[in-house]
Amino acid sequence: MKTSKCLKYALNMVMHSKLRSWLTILGIVIGVGSVIAIMSLGEGLQQSMDAQMSSLGGDILTITPGFSRGITFGHKSSGGTGSSGSTATEEEVVLDRIDVQALKSIPDIKLIDTNIRGNVRIYYLGKSGSVTLTGVDQKVWSEITTTEIRDGRMLGPADMNVIVIGGKLADSYFDKPLGINKMVNIEDKAFRIVGVLDDSSTSIIMPLQIAYTILDNKENGVYDSIVVKIKNEEDLDYVIEKVENKLMMTRHVTENNRDFSVSSSKQFQEMRSEMLGSMTLFLTAIAAVSLIVGAVGIANTMFTSVLEKTKEIGIMKAIGARNKDILIIFLLNAGLIGLVGGMIGVLLGVMLSGFMPMLMGSMPMTKGGAVTLVSMDAVVLALSVAVIIGVISGVVPAYNGSKLKPVDALRYE
Amino acid sequence: MVHKNVSGPILCLENVWKIYQMGEVEVPALRGISLKIKKGDFIAIVGASGSGKSTMMNLVGCLDTPSKGNVFLKSRNIADLCESDLATLRGKTIGFIFQQYNLLPNMTAYENVVLPLELQEVDDDVAEKQAKKVLKLVGLEDKIHHRPSQLSGGQQQRVAIARCLVGNPEIILADEPTGALDSVTGKGVLNMLEKIWKEEGKTVIMVTHDLHLAEYAHNIIELKDGKILRMEKNHKKVH
Repeated sequence: MKTSKCLKYALNMVMHSKLRSWLTILGIVIGVGSVIAIMSLGEGLQQSMDAQMSSLGGDILTITPGFSRGITFGHKSSGGTGSSGSTATEEEVVLDRIDVQALKSIPDIKLIDTNIRGNVRIYYLGKSGSVTLTGVDQKVWSEITTTEIRDGRMLGPADMNVIVIGGKLADSYFDKPLGINKMVNIEDKAFRIVGVLDDSSTSIIMPLQIAYTILDNKENGVYDSIVVKIKNEEDLDYVIEKVENKLMMTRHVTENNRDFSVSSSKQFQEMRSEMLGSMTLFLTAIAAVSLIVGAVGIANTMFTSVLEKTKEIGIMKAIGARNKDILIIFLLNAGLIGLVGGMIGVLLGVMLSGFMPMLMGSMPMTKGGAVTLVSMDAVVLALSVAVIIGVISGVVPAYNGSKLKPVDALRYE
Repeated sequence: MVHKNVSGPILCLENVWKIYQMGEVEVPALRGISLKIKKGDFIAIVGASGSGKSTMMNLVGCLDTPSKGNVFLKSRNIADLCESDLATLRGKTIGFIFQQYNLLPNMTAYENVVLPLELQEVDDDVAEKQAKKVLKLVGLEDKIHHRPSQLSGGQQQRVAIARCLVGNPEIILADEPTGALDSVTGKGVLNMLEKIWKEEGKTVIMVTHDLHLAEYAHNIIELKDGKILRMEKNHKKVH
């Protein structure tokens, strides 16, 4: 018998199948549906994370003093000889002009921004509050920062007593919103706002030299962090290594007593994305268990179906069906059950993934609601798994059916 | 009108035994049956219940293999054939008509009739033409899209006859063909069978317990306790 005809008979069997077969199909539907929904969620989160990653700047490196090794915090282990019981403190390990000079000698680096940071009090219309102040090198900051300006402008090279403020500070920190050209007092100096950042922070950005005068405890020429932009994003890992080697040389430290860290937003994002990947895999594995249960259901239904159709098998054999024909018809039947279950399951999964953002909206990791994305890969994978599971579950019953002797099968009532 | 039996045996049984194992006890259903059926014969196998006629029908129809002895279908020993070759040979050579019609319930009359041709991988166009032809022959051309459950017993048996004829088999094997029908319908079916035998030159083997039905045949073989009790010509039919 031609395979196309076998398929026709298999389809006929599925179409006329009883409630039991539909319950079997339901098992596959649930399995495939949940796999699709979970995979779509994982895929969606991954995509939104990728988008965030590119906006964060994959070409930016931040160098900070201090280096943590596993569970050791601070720099206690980096003291080298550990002489006279002195313990290294934050103040002692600093970044300074020598480090900047060293970085300047690396040709892969495009821009270098030096930052200091501290908490200050801000006064506006008789109200005050404590916010974070960041002093930046205004000549390069506008080119290095990944945050956009919402109103006004970035800091320019000639700016002195002006600041750029975070979006939240502008909108809702004080009773009255702050805007362009408003004057505020920081500690005892007056500043004019020239720009508002498009973010939700309460930070203040001001030229580095002015920041030194505001933040008492900061020494001129000593930085809290150095931010560099590299020429070519693809070289990130290579440049990180170069920066580390260069700084270790100028700071006279080795791998064992390193006193600075180099980090990139890309590394952080990659770690997060890896974690998310494992979480998705774990959840998918749980969903896959229901697929396996579905497979057992198919096998059960196929055994019953072969029993039920024993007489029909006998009739078909009497009128010329070969073992192979019966085997193929029942295998196709099992595969079709998997396919039908898989297709309905994909629909269910797509619907579920539509509802998922509503259910997961409150999760902190999914700002503004989770995004789901049903990828073609997931659909094809789920469908093929459903069909393969169907066929595998059908192998033994179909084989048993095909081996029936026509005389015994015909006698079966 | 007179049918000529001129060719050699189409089916041959040589000292055939069929023994069923019932636990520790061996029950012989057929004991050393030897029989030659020539092309064009119309044979009735009769016997009381338990005489072994169903077993004989299964062996003659190549649905089962003998415990001892040989069955030759068209000079080929069925014991030498693999399952798949036997199925193909059976499909092409023998057409079955069962007491309970044995139609596939989820298929229409047409689908039931065309099935043997599809199993033989006959081209769709040829198969369709042939199936419609035999359905017309049995007078069911207007019921081809009905399922067995939508047909009367007589109509179902006529579908079964159409299915049996569609592959143009040389042998028609009918097992109690009227067993489930009333006498008028049963007579109609038998008349149809006789007509096919006469016009198409088929070999017809009919298994029945009803001696009245056996009157339609030209040779009557009576079985008793697994042995041939008598084998004689039906003088009412053969002159």
